Amino acid sequence: MTDTVERKTLTRERLLDVYRTMRTIREFEERVHAEFATGEIPGFVHLYAGEEASAVGVCSNLDDRDTIASTHRGHGHCIARGVDVGEMMAEIYGRKTGSCHGKGGSMHIADLSKGMLGANGIVGGGPPLICGTALAAKIKGTGGVSVAFFGDGGSNQGTTLESMNLASVWNLPAIFVAENNGYAETTSSTWSVASDNIADRAAGFGMPGVIVDGFDFFAAHEAASEAIARAREGGGPTLIEMKFTRYFGHFEGDQQTYRADEVARARAELDCLKRFADHVTETGELSRADLDAVDAEVGTLIDQAVESAKAAPLPTEADLLTDVYVRY
Amino acid sequence: MGDAIVGVVANPLSGRDIRRLVTQASVFPTAEKANMIQRMLTAFGAVGVQRALLSTDLGGISASVLRAIQRHRPQGPQDARWPEVDFLDGQPIRQTAQDTVDAVRRMVTAGARVIVCLGGDGTARVAASAAGDVPMLALSTGTNNVFPAVREATIAGLAAGLVATGMVPAESATTRAKLLEVRTGDRTETALVDVAVSTERHVGARAVWDPATVTQLFCAFAEPDAIGLSSVLGQLHPVTRHEPHGVTARLAPDAPRHVLAPIAPGLVVPVGVREIEPMHPGVVYPVDASAGVVAVDGERELTFGPGDPPSVRLRTDGPRCVDVPAVLAASARLGLLSKGRNT
Repeated sequence: MTDTVERKTLTRERLLDVYRTMRTIREFEERVHAEFATGEIPGFVHLYAGEEASAVGVCSNLDDRDTIASTHRGHGHCIARGVDVGEMMAEIYGRKTGSCHGKGGSMHIADLSKGMLGANGIVGGGPPLICGTALAAKIKGTGGVSVAFFGDGGSNQGTTLESMNLASVWNLPAIFVAENNGYAETTSSTWSVASDNIADRAAGFGMPGVIVDGFDFFAAHEAASEAIARAREGGGPTLIEMKFTRYFGHFEGDQQTYRADEVARARAELDCLKRFADHVTETGELSRADLDAVDAEVGTLIDQAVESAKAAPLPTEADLLTDVYVRY
Repeated sequence: MGDAIVGVVANPLSGRDIRRLVTQASVFPTAEKANMIQRMLTAFGAVGVQRALLSTDLGGISASVLRAIQRHRPQGPQDARWPEVDFLDGQPIRQTAQDTVDAVRRMVTAGARVIVCLGGDGTARVAASAAGDVPMLALSTGTNNVFPAVREATIAGLAAGLVATGMVPAESATTRAKLLEVRTGDRTETALVDVAVSTERHVGARAVWDPATVTQLFCAFAEPDAIGLSSVLGQLHPVTRHEPHGVTARLAPDAPRHVLAPIAPGLVVPVGVREIEPMHPGVVYPVDASAGVVAVDGERELTFGPGDPPSVRLRTDGPRCVDVPAVLAASARLGLLSKGRNT
């Protein structure tokens, strides 16, 4: 088919980038998991490990014109959108050098320069935001698209449902990515989501809805690529449901008495990084040595991020009233 | 002779893939899959099927049927009782094709005489790989439906029931389908309709909707009124399901001959076709590509590189399929559904 919108081909360099980003998210989250247990990190953290293929599969199709809105489980989306990992770690530690000067924390990391509208403590808070940015892109004719990530819990929020309706009515370049990791906090989505699949709800809003194996980067990338190309061409919104499992609890400290051994199986058999590595080495597109080199590089990056974050200063009393109001 | 048992396997994920996005493929609702099973249970009961074995799933089909069974009250003597229904639970549900394989194997072991399969071509292909010699009846609830029939479930249920009870002998009302076997390295896959070689490198979203990526096509049969890749050869070199041969061709966008083909629901595109030749059973046809993906029945399944060039072989020992019109014609001939006499 001839496309007027370019789909990003997965060259060797791009595959390396994809692996580096997924590995960075995994290492970041595994490290935050370990560091949180020491008690040095204030507040709550919700980890994205296991879900990397979704954030990277979607965001690897985006460019500078585009924006995303994230969730309380937002580290992966931030990293996939290119937010500085050192500043993110500092933010989580509540330090002045953080993405939001240490005043937001894990659930409020935002970087507008990267088109990252913010992690969001409000479940279902992201979808209305992207209706705004998608409308702006449409009116200005930038060709930009906006993506909202939300979970199975978020999929039940009125804000999400209203946003899907509005996006369809206004034919917005908006992509709704439902990251169905099986549980809204401790409530199973098979109980709390009344439709059998979140994707099934798309029909009610007059948009296509597809289900994607959220552990498979290539499936996520391809579905997102088609949805984003369609949106850029004026084809309107799409709902993509990623089905997978999160590797850690709802938040760090969650005892997870509500679920059994699914994580062990997912880590062993379904893991997105493992599947990606096995596949690209089998096709010969990348070698194990290429991947090992990325692993080492990422390990160093995360070590440095933690070290710098711990050494960075905390905000002072004088910082209390900065960044509160914006003149526009 | 043992009990008249029918197995029903339903794929909760059929009719949900990326073709909803890249074409205008239909969404097949879970509720309708559950309704189809209920209509079949009525038909099974009417012709004396004693037990039905149902697959379980997390997509809501088996849960919906269970609720219906608990509420089901026959409305008088003319309303058939449903057979005893056993849900094949107690085994982990992986939400992959393995669930279909596991369910069908259990049905075969439990003595099912017919296995009804609800899904698209992909589901039928997977079910066929596990059904052994038990007759299959594939009903369409998927996207590309060449192998499974679009047919009212009540009628399918009557046909399955008449075969399972032995009222219509299986030998006279089933046909043996053809099968394509793909080998690459130590991996083997089968297809019931077509095998396509694609220049894509990844399985990704599985479906094939860009004909420019397809370089070679092998079809067990190619019907002029088909949907999907086999429609390409269906227009140029039709082969029926019952002929002993298949057909293969090389495809290229710059080929001198093009055919307008409905390669997916809502997608009618010109496809360039080079050499076409018949496929003979048992002959091994090599794939002319050093790397790519092999799609079976329209879904990318196997990746290959220079070290493991794939080959394709047509086999005539595919699944046994219930011929629904033949069963009901036999029933008419034998008066199986009629009572009393002409006045």
